[in-house]
Amino acid sequence: MKTLTLAAAALLTSTTLACAADGKPIYKDCGPNNDYVIGFSQANFKEPYREHVNHELERLVKQYPKFKLTIADGQASVNTQVSQVENFVTKQVDLLMISPFESAPLTPAVTNVIKKGIPVIELDRKTVGDDFTAFVGGDNRQIAKEAGQYAANTLLPDGGEVAILEGLPSSSPAIERLEGFKDGLADNAKLKLVAVQPVDWQEDKAVTVFGAMLQAHPDIKLVYTSNDLAAAGAYIAAKQAEKADQVKIIGTDGLPGPSGGIRSVADGQWAATFTYPTGAAEALDLAKKILIDCATSVPRNVMVPSQRIDQTNAKALYDKEQF
Amino acid sequence: MSTSTVPAALERPRRSPLAYLVRFQSLLGLVIVIAAGIGFSPRRHGHILFLQTDNVANIIRSIAETGILALGMTFVIIAAGIDLSVGAVLGLCSVLTAELLVNEGWSLWTTLSLVVATGILFGAVQGFISTKARIQAFIVTLAGLQAARGLSLIASGNSFINISYGAGPGKAPVGFAILGERIGGVFPVATLVFLVLAALATFVLNNTRYGRYVFAVGGNEKAARLSGIPVEAVKISVYAITGLMAAVAGIVHAGQFSFGSPNDGTGYELNAIAAVVIGGTDLFGGAGSMVGTIAGAVMLGALANILELNDVSAALQLLATGAIIVMAAALQTFVNSGSGGR
Repeated sequence: MKTLTLAAAALLTSTTLACAADGKPIYKDCGPNNDYVIGFSQANFKEPYREHVNHELERLVKQYPKFKLTIADGQASVNTQVSQVENFVTKQVDLLMISPFESAPLTPAVTNVIKKGIPVIELDRKTVGDDFTAFVGGDNRQIAKEAGQYAANTLLPDGGEVAILEGLPSSSPAIERLEGFKDGLADNAKLKLVAVQPVDWQEDKAVTVFGAMLQAHPDIKLVYTSNDLAAAGAYIAAKQAEKADQVKIIGTDGLPGPSGGIRSVADGQWAATFTYPTGAAEALDLAKKILIDCATSVPRNVMVPSQRIDQTNAKALYDKEQF
Repeated sequence: MSTSTVPAALERPRRSPLAYLVRFQSLLGLVIVIAAGIGFSPRRHGHILFLQTDNVANIIRSIAETGILALGMTFVIIAAGIDLSVGAVLGLCSVLTAELLVNEGWSLWTTLSLVVATGILFGAVQGFISTKARIQAFIVTLAGLQAARGLSLIASGNSFINISYGAGPGKAPVGFAILGERIGGVFPVATLVFLVLAALATFVLNNTRYGRYVFAVGGNEKAARLSGIPVEAVKISVYAITGLMAAVAGIVHAGQFSFGSPNDGTGYELNAIAAVVIGGTDLFGGAGSMVGTIAGAVMLGALANILELNDVSAALQLLATGAIIVMAAALQTFVNSGSGGR
């Protein structure tokens, strides 16, 4: 995983700087000698991707002896997550990291944190407006578009029937990944999108739904799934229908580990998966700059690019992983 | 049941001293949680964080929506029913509010009236089907849960809707934002809505003929029918009440978070039922207390808060909540069997 993070870090693109025009440090109680509490408000603990982010943060924070990290589970409820952000203010954490479950509902709570002088680093998803110190994340739409283009140009240059297993309908990453993939598919007019169904990010639902799709459309050549779990489910369904060789599967997330997407690609079960970066290393580095180095400004948007995991690199990446 | 000459249905449930304990178990639990909260609260510069004004305001804000749902749920459960659809109806109503205000440009009052009417109608239809077709409420409202989620996906066009305020198309009236504000910078408006409804619900349940009917229908339906109570109407009406409360909670949700999503309110029905059970209401119907429900809802919020202030892990928080629900239910069963109940 380290290789991935480093590769991603090398490609960091940053745009504007967080403002602190007066030359004062972003956090007034900063300095190299204090201990700091960082609160991380995670949208939920259910999705494997979010677990992976938690693990990465917990693993990497050990490199910063001055930092103590607390992670709260937003339970996929905006109400719960707002409460947790409020509780972090009550506890007076030195810095808030947050992956909002949905953007707009969390915005007032995060604005309030900024007003109290506590820096905020947003991971994966931004709140609305400018009230945050820095954002670290990937671009769902772009990642899905790359997946679509890979399908259109590399996997199925001669065309064929394509299906999509969407995430939780109406949640913003599900919408962005669906639209992005459709954009990418447009590169090849010979592709025919025959079925789109939501599976709510769930493996068991993916098995059922994709099983039915294969009944209705026996010639499906490729299925795009909005996360790795759904891709795993699609593979099970394809195998049950004895079509595992016919159907090319593309996942999203590219999680490491024996049950992650990188291994599934390495084992030849899926054609490819696209990493959705955690940004954990980048976020902690920003936290260090703000809290310990008393930075007066930090990059405001840190976009961590996705990496395509396919047959050419999956095995090497999987073998190199440290657990 | 009772063999006294007074029609059993109209007789207020008799209470042993232990039964009083059940009736007030949630108040007692609330006192214990608050005491524990003060005792275990992190302190900073000598201040008890748990008792800080902002923290108390945060607690009562966090329970506003499930609290409102629990008020309606108390009526249904006392009438020996259950309503699993309230979380989904909350989602439907928050989506509908956002959709009508933002995308359809409806005025505030027409929107709110329509949303409230939708909630009431949705509940009443469930009550009607359950009563007339004699299908268990569990099944009907489970189906209602699915239907409400489906309807909200249709209403929103498969998307979430952000609410921004101002004049002109695509903006909601500024007045609606008040639901997300705090009176004097402290007291959440959402909680005020909950308190007003709580007072109203307590009055209706304890001081009106309708309230007595609800107890009677839940306690012994046959006896209630024999003593001339319009049993079917009462049974349908309690679902209309849960629908109404879910609609109001959905409006509060949309206003608090400037947002409507078909996924909102997932699992809220379980939190509402938990508050009612902790509040000492009998899941078999016929006995219960609105004050208990209110205390139960506040207790769950205070508990989550103190656990979080102490950095207790998410897993242990869920375990603690589960344990308390079981204890509340066990206490009830113990009292019921002790007093020769079912």
